[in-house]
Amino acid sequence: MTLKLRRHEFADDATLMMAIVNRTPDSFYDKGATWAEDKAFERVAHVVSQGAEIVDIGGIKAAPGVEIGAEEEKDRVVDFVVRVREAFPGLVISVDTWRASVGAAVCEAGADVLNDAWGGADPELADVAAAYDAAIICTHTGGVTPRTRPYRIEYDDVVAAAIADTVAYAERAVAAGVDPRSAVIDPAHDFGKNTFHSLELTRRLDEMVATGWPVLVSLSNKDFVGETLDLPVGERLTGTLAATAVCALAGARIYRVHEVVETRQVVDMVNTIAGRRLPARAIRGLQ
Amino acid sequence: MGAPGIVRDVSAVPEPDSQQKRHGLSRRVVLVPGVLALLPEYAGRTDPVAELREACVAAVSWLTGPVEIVADAQGRRVAEHLLAVSSGSTGSTDAGGTSYLVVANGSACRSEKAPGHLDERSFGFDEEVDKALRTPDRAALSGLDEALGAELWAGNVSGLRRLGELLAGAGAAVVDYADDPFGVQYWVMRWECAS
Repeated sequence: MTLKLRRHEFADDATLMMAIVNRTPDSFYDKGATWAEDKAFERVAHVVSQGAEIVDIGGIKAAPGVEIGAEEEKDRVVDFVVRVREAFPGLVISVDTWRASVGAAVCEAGADVLNDAWGGADPELADVAAAYDAAIICTHTGGVTPRTRPYRIEYDDVVAAAIADTVAYAERAVAAGVDPRSAVIDPAHDFGKNTFHSLELTRRLDEMVATGWPVLVSLSNKDFVGETLDLPVGERLTGTLAATAVCALAGARIYRVHEVVETRQVVDMVNTIAGRRLPARAIRGLQ
Repeated sequence: MGAPGIVRDVSAVPEPDSQQKRHGLSRRVVLVPGVLALLPEYAGRTDPVAELREACVAAVSWLTGPVEIVADAQGRRVAEHLLAVSSGSTGSTDAGGTSYLVVANGSACRSEKAPGHLDERSFGFDEEVDKALRTPDRAALSGLDEALGAELWAGNVSGLRRLGELLAGAGAAVVDYADDPFGVQYWVMRWECAS
C-alpha cells in the first residue's frame, strides 16, 4: 500500500529507515547519549547523512522509571521538532508518544507521524492525527499500561491478537479521519510480550503483511534478541539484523532502528533476493 | 589498452536519397555488441552500459525497412530488444530496402579482469577487426580467423565475417561507439550501402 506520512509520500515498494532519536536521559540502548538537545540534533544530522528517511523522536523511555508528565514531555520534544523541521524539510519526523496533548503540540511544530508505541492508551491520539493529516503507528501491546513490563502475559495466538488489535486500531483511526494511506501497523516486539511471543511474531510476520496495512517493525537491540543469543545490550546487532532479514523477507515496510546503515543494507539485500528491488548495478557475466 | 575512444558524429550520417529509399536501392547495416546487460531482464538500479545503450539505440533507430538480424541466439534477443525500444521506421516495407542488424563483438580477453582473462593476442585481433570495419575492408572481414576469435572469446565472429558480404558498396563506417569498458571490445557502427 502507498504510504503517506503527512507531507511525504512513498511508492508501494519503498522501504524506510526510521532512526531512533532519544531526548531522554535513560533509554536502554544509548543511556542518555543524546539527552542534550545539541547531541540529539547531531544524531539527527548523522542519521540523515546515513540515509534515514524518518527520525523517531522520543521524550520518554519505554521502560518503567521516573514519571514524566505531559508538560515535561513537551519540553523535551516540541522545540526540538521545530528545530529539526527547519533544518531538514525533506525528513519525515515521527514522535514517539502515547499522549494526545503531546501529539497535538508536535504536529503543530511540524511532526508528520505519531508513533503510538503503547497501542491506543489515549484514544484521542487518533483524532489528533486526523486533525493534522498526520500518520499514526498502531501498535499491539496486549492492553498493558504504558511503561510497564510484561508479566506472565499469555495469548492463545499472539499473532492473531496482534493482527486483531492493530487492524482494529488502524480502522478506528481511519474512521476518525486519518488517511487510509497514513495508518501503519506494528506488532511491537517485546511490548506486552515475552521472548517467545516476539520470536513468533517475527516468524509469522507475513500474516501481518497480508492484512494489507503497511507494517513497521521495531526490533533494534531488544531483549528478545538478547535472550535468544544470551547477549547484553551493545552486542545484539547481528541478532537484530537476522530478525530484520526475516521481517524484510515477509514484507515489512518501516524499520525502527538504532543502526541505519547496517539495517538498510540488510533490507535492500533481502528485498533484492525477494525480487522486489533491482540490484544496484549488475555487469558480472553480462558484459 | 590501445582501445580507440568513443567516437560519435551522427551529423555525418548520410540520409538516404528518397528515390533510393522508394526503390530499395540503399541498404543500411548496423553492428552492435551482444551485451546481455542491454536486456531488460538484467536491469539494475543504475545502468552499467548507459553510454553503450544510447549508442545502440541511436544506431538501430537509424535502420529503415524490414530488418534482418544476423546474430546467434543470445545476440538475437539483444537485437530484438533494441529494435523494440528504438524509434526507427523498421518494419515498414516502403521505407527502403532490407536493413541488417549484426550482433557481434571483439575479444573478451583485453584485461586481467576481462571475462576471458588477459590474452595479449586480443589487441592485434581487435585492431585488425576495427580497421576492417571502419574502412570497410570486406576481404579482411570475410577472412577473419574464427578459431582465433573463439580462443579470444570474441562474440559471433561468423557475423563479423558476414559483414564482408553485407558491406558491398558501403562507404566508411560511422562509429557510434568503440571501446572496451569491461575488457570486451565493443563496436557500434553504421554503414550506408549503395547496391
